Amino acid sequence: MTTNTAYGAVKRPEKSSSPWAIARRKFLRNKLAMISTVFLGIVILLSLLAPVLAPYLSPIPDITKVNIGKMSIPPNDEYLLGTDKSGRDVMTRLLYGGRISLLVGASATAIVVILGTIVGSVAGFFGGAVDSLLMRFTDFVLNFPFLVFVIVLNTILYGIVDGLWVLILVIGLLSWGGVARIVRSKVLSERENEYVLAAISIGTPPAKIIIKHLLPNVLSTIIVQATLLFASLIVAETGLSYLGFGVPEETPSWGNMLAFANEPDVLQGKPWMWMPPALAVTFTILSINFIGEGLKDALNPKSQR
Amino acid sequence: MTTKELTEQGNTQKERENLLEVKNLKTYYPIHGGFFKRVVGNVKAVDDISFTIKKGETMGLVGESGCGKSTTGRTILRLIKPTGGQIIFDGEDITRISGTKLRKARQDFQMVFQDPYASLNPMQMVGDIISEPIKNFERRDKKELVEYVKSLLVRVGLPEAAYYKYAHEFSGGQRQRIGIARALALNPKLIIADEPVSALDVSVQSQVLNLLKDLQEEFGLTYLFIAHDLSVVKHMSDTIGVMYLGNLVEVASNKDLYSEPLHPYTQALISAIPEPDPKLRKERIVLQGDVPSPANPPTGCPFHTRCPMAQEICSQEKPPLKEVRPGHHVACVLY
Repeated sequence: MTTNTAYGAVKRPEKSSSPWAIARRKFLRNKLAMISTVFLGIVILLSLLAPVLAPYLSPIPDITKVNIGKMSIPPNDEYLLGTDKSGRDVMTRLLYGGRISLLVGASATAIVVILGTIVGSVAGFFGGAVDSLLMRFTDFVLNFPFLVFVIVLNTILYGIVDGLWVLILVIGLLSWGGVARIVRSKVLSERENEYVLAAISIGTPPAKIIIKHLLPNVLSTIIVQATLLFASLIVAETGLSYLGFGVPEETPSWGNMLAFANEPDVLQGKPWMWMPPALAVTFTILSINFIGEGLKDALNPKSQR
Repeated sequence: MTTKELTEQGNTQKERENLLEVKNLKTYYPIHGGFFKRVVGNVKAVDDISFTIKKGETMGLVGESGCGKSTTGRTILRLIKPTGGQIIFDGEDITRISGTKLRKARQDFQMVFQDPYASLNPMQMVGDIISEPIKNFERRDKKELVEYVKSLLVRVGLPEAAYYKYAHEFSGGQRQRIGIARALALNPKLIIADEPVSALDVSVQSQVLNLLKDLQEEFGLTYLFIAHDLSVVKHMSDTIGVMYLGNLVEVASNKDLYSEPLHPYTQALISAIPEPDPKLRKERIVLQGDVPSPANPPTGCPFHTRCPMAQEICSQEKPPLKEVRPGHHVACVLY
């Protein structure tokens, strides 16, 4: 007992600790990851509450209307972050922009993770011809010229699907190759464990082996990948919107706001137009990356104790 | 009735007392090479072996690491695809069945794995690990299933509370008990134990071995017991098969094999068992050289490269496994 306290007394929890519980405890102890989680939580909350908050923060809550009388006002008491070239309030657009950017990031990540996991785990578990076929297809998708595809799909789907969802679908359908490869390689090494052989020998059907045995054991990798992807897909949205192939122009997104500030005059003299979205993107991505790193540490069995 | 029919009838009667019959089983792993990944050779992990196990008995399989013991066990359970031969289990040929039929057949033969750490899914609760085989084949009332699994846990010497724990909270010996409980869950007829104690402490080994023996009596199990430890096999088995380089070189009853080993390889193995009595110092046969590669096995008798009694014929002809005394089979030109 005394030796226990000498080592800082790692209290044994009452209930049996599953591997997930151990990971959760480790994650909660990681300060940087926890600060990032809180920050990301606030960003998400502010974005969700944009329609509620906007009227309080700005006298012109309309995000799309051009307002000639109020162009390019620097930040002051009335306009907390100033207005842009079209006389729209930057604060309001920043809040609404967060909704779009996070929605695009999250939805595209979901598509990528689901597709990548299905393709990767099936290829890895069955191996042989199935593996070759699926992985060649993955290579094919990975080699699509991203920008060209985005432009073409945008043109084809314009008017049929809402502009925002075109972007989400295009990003999602073109980016799953990397996840598929990572999941496949993890499944390949994981299925060498005897518990997979044991599952076969007790008559567990293949689909159940993948879902109940392999996926829980590669889930840590998938989660980490998903967080990092989330960050990079927000950047993708921002970049595409900047180039004009992303979110329709009148819809505010962080990328669109940045795209608006492409004149030297704005860049040099009117930082309030582009600083807020730039900082928002930077800090959101940073926090997501820190969370991803934290999860990686927490879920890595080798870093236990 | 023709003589042919008579012998066929005789065969089916013989199969009834035999739970498992392995005939000329071969498992080759192809070696791919060259630009187009052509098959350039085979690793002959199991090369033409035959044996039978009677209901309720234990057959031990010994040999050095890499001699194909585990591959034999896994091939019999159809976890590895056999290259040739026949596996007849309880009168039914299971060599070529596949898909759902194979999955259904698996209820009757189970395996206890060598590595108690890798053979349990770290993300699963022990209760789920043991109830999974049952859930795969039948729908049972949840409460009843939990009770059943808990009774299994108690039967293998673990507390009921183990149901709610995870594998990482147990020691090697306890994990192996969990693995045994999983194998028992479906009330199988045959259990293949693939070096079930080689990863355990000596003190724990005997406990697990005795548990296996008790369970055999209680459930009427038949074992194929794979090990490299001769004293462990002696403790467990009724008959023993000695493997060398994918071949079965000698099969005999427990008593015969230890008192009168016939094959030079078996003699060398048995001479290596440490003798606790210092006065009874016996001649130790030390084999020269290494086991040849199973990808490029020697011609003739696989053992002739290391055999102290090798003759010229040994490198030319592979001696078949023949019964030289009642119940004592050996593959050697000397007999």
